[in-house]
Amino acid sequence: MAFYEQHAHPAPKTFLSKYIFSYDHKVIAKQFLWSGIFFLGIGGIMAMLIRWTLAYPGQSFPILGQLLFPHTGGVVPPDTYAMLFTEHGTIMIFYAITPILIGGFGNFCIPLMIGCRDMAFPLLNMLSYWFFFISSVVLLSALFTPLGAAAGGWTSYPTLALTFGSPGIGQTLWYLAIFIVGASSILGAINYITTVITLRAPGMGYFDMPLTIWGIWMTAILNAIFLPVLGAGCLLVIFDRVFGTTFFLAGAAATTGSGDPILYQHVFWIFGHPEVYILILPAWGVVSDLLSFFARKPAFAAKATALSMVAISVLSILVYGHHMFTTQMSPLLTQSFMTLTMTISIPSAIFFGNWLGTIWKGSIRLDSPMLFALGVVFVFGLGGLTGLYLGTTTTDFYLHDTYFVVGHFHYTMAASVLLGGFGGIYFWMPKMFGVMMSEFWAKVHFWISMMGINGVFMGMIFVGYGGMHRRIYNPFFYEELRRLIPMNEFVTVSALILGAAQFIFLINFIHALVKGKPASDNPWKVGTLEWTIPSPAPHYNFKEIPVVKCGPHELGNPNLKDGKDFQYQTEELVKV
Amino acid sequence: MSGIFGVLSFFGSVVESLFSSIGLDGLSVNQSTDYWDITVPPEDISVHGHLIDWLFNYTTYMNIFFFVLVCIGLFGFTFIYHHKKNKTPHFTYGNKKAHIWTVTIIGIAVFIGIDATISTISNNDLKDVFLNWPKDKEKPVKIEVMAQQWAWKFRYAGADGVFNTQDDVVTTNDLRLPINRKVLFQITSKDVIHSFFIPNARRKVDAMPGRISRLWFELTKAGKYPIVCAEMCGTHHYLMGAKLITYTPEDYESWLGQAQKLAVQTNDPEDLNLYWGWKWE
Repeated sequence: MAFYEQHAHPAPKTFLSKYIFSYDHKVIAKQFLWSGIFFLGIGGIMAMLIRWTLAYPGQSFPILGQLLFPHTGGVVPPDTYAMLFTEHGTIMIFYAITPILIGGFGNFCIPLMIGCRDMAFPLLNMLSYWFFFISSVVLLSALFTPLGAAAGGWTSYPTLALTFGSPGIGQTLWYLAIFIVGASSILGAINYITTVITLRAPGMGYFDMPLTIWGIWMTAILNAIFLPVLGAGCLLVIFDRVFGTTFFLAGAAATTGSGDPILYQHVFWIFGHPEVYILILPAWGVVSDLLSFFARKPAFAAKATALSMVAISVLSILVYGHHMFTTQMSPLLTQSFMTLTMTISIPSAIFFGNWLGTIWKGSIRLDSPMLFALGVVFVFGLGGLTGLYLGTTTTDFYLHDTYFVVGHFHYTMAASVLLGGFGGIYFWMPKMFGVMMSEFWAKVHFWISMMGINGVFMGMIFVGYGGMHRRIYNPFFYEELRRLIPMNEFVTVSALILGAAQFIFLINFIHALVKGKPASDNPWKVGTLEWTIPSPAPHYNFKEIPVVKCGPHELGNPNLKDGKDFQYQTEELVKV
Repeated sequence: MSGIFGVLSFFGSVVESLFSSIGLDGLSVNQSTDYWDITVPPEDISVHGHLIDWLFNYTTYMNIFFFVLVCIGLFGFTFIYHHKKNKTPHFTYGNKKAHIWTVTIIGIAVFIGIDATISTISNNDLKDVFLNWPKDKEKPVKIEVMAQQWAWKFRYAGADGVFNTQDDVVTTNDLRLPINRKVLFQITSKDVIHSFFIPNARRKVDAMPGRISRLWFELTKAGKYPIVCAEMCGTHHYLMGAKLITYTPEDYESWLGQAQKLAVQTNDPEDLNLYWGWKWE
């Protein structure tokens, strides 16, 4: 319920105030989206280099290799390999997925879907983007320092990440960049939480919000609680590296006093596990909505879905220890973390039940956003179920730090989130830019991506079970791993296919922007608030603040008149 | 495992022929391509490794069951209720009772079918086996391990049975163990975090500077197996492998006797680098 009224200010006129230092949530959302897609490209190229090295060690990377590594004849050198997988992880998590799903869709969808004119704190919103921008400059600049960028894995565990393990300034810049991007996310999160609580349109209760907003809202809450923890951890490591403190230093190098590197792991993973849900919750929200919209049927047990999101957010705080089973915590902690981890599958299973319940007896339209949503259900199923092996301590003794883990978390964090994000882009493209993307090429993009994704990540799960451990430059140094060469080649070819498929998206996207078919106000025929206004959304969104009278998924009601099968949230609920 | 995925070897051969048709097999280092060979983990050489394999397989069967259910729903519903076949959707709004039932049944089925079972089994294995440290009267082989960038160092107590003395047998990247006898490790690291991983014994534990972690197992097969570092430890992380050679108890005794003799002859008591070990507690 709107606590106060936002006034409609006149639209900014100059280029700077309109496109660069804009307070408008829609422009900031687009800024995040552009940056996210840019970094997705960089992180993707890094992934290709990594995959190539694993399947064809010692062979030059086609085309780009000669350009990037002239002194080795196009072969990725081992120190660069370590930088590549470190930066790939960091970029994909903090600079690609976070800006696209949270920065982009969060900013774009929240005010439009809850019926307000802008975020609660437009200035913080702008700062959030510019903090992100500064942070990405800091991160990329590390690539050009004498000893190169950070190379300790995206987790950057001390003591490897301390000065004796990574002497280059690149590692310090990595921590600094993460600290700043954390600040950016916190600013965004405060904004999202406040907006959702105070600026919902009159009449809109929490359960009248679309599930997308529920997902983003839960994400924002987790962000606001746990990114400060990560920030504190990064700051302490910066102290260790720059000022000579010894919070995390131990072993032979600890000549002036010693700390404990395990402390960092606790700090990192109490952030790091919620981070997984920070990334996936918006995608879950988008998928729950899309399934209902395109099955032309109310979301099955939408309240249970929303409450499951809350339950998962709470549980995510309590399970982080499963990342540390092999550090030999006390048995009591190990057992508690294992049991708590297992309970997460209950709300997850409820999601699946509700998703399938939603499409059950629907009238399913397989438009591109729906295909992507169904794709998420498939890949998240695989990702979630493979997590069970890692949650039980004894199987984790074998699987921890193998490619099994890599396959598992890519299924959940990369495949599901990426597909959810693409689904969202195809779905909100009309409202964001006022144009439609090509349906045909969207479907081609989906099917090729789907093949690529499953080839890559299922392959990783198999090589991991075969015993190949993570983050190794040349697995075939070990005689026992040579039997995995064919599978590694299969994974790499799938990865190249997946990478190539993204060009279809890129061309489709740019083509739509340049000369796409203009979109109607409500091309998908759904009733949430953003579809009550013209496409693209005008400055300050709603001329009149809407009054909400029903829920977001009022589709397929048999008593609707005039051949309509949906009703807007601003319309009085038609009795069944 | 190979049973389930043996079926998939058909797909393997399809993929293989696809590869060769686009000319990629020329890049292969190894031309014998049985893709699904890798669905078999490394040979289990420990007494308790089968517990881990058993739990893995159990979880796999459960997962396949639940994933097949999801797929039936996903593909089946999409096919049956496609808008061309099913023009008017079934309107369920406000049917709270059905929602509550569905949610409850799913929650309970998953919790009992998977969670409660596998966490109980894992918990019991942990308690009864993996954290049930060998007692002194069982005469376990005791070994101190120090990881460093990028090598594994192993220390046997030597003839006097006391660690960190001048008659200790110290080896680098070369661990020799008897079969049919419990082995107890104390593991630490000199510099960064490493992880002591023996795939054939299904076990790994982190080696951390400033801490001593423990690991025990009992092996059953004589042969040569890999030891690797599983935690990112710097540029040459991938080279940080050691070999594990397992002997029958008699062979082990004769090797140990020779090694102890050699250690007494070659260890330089003045060399401070010899004393990286610690007192066993």
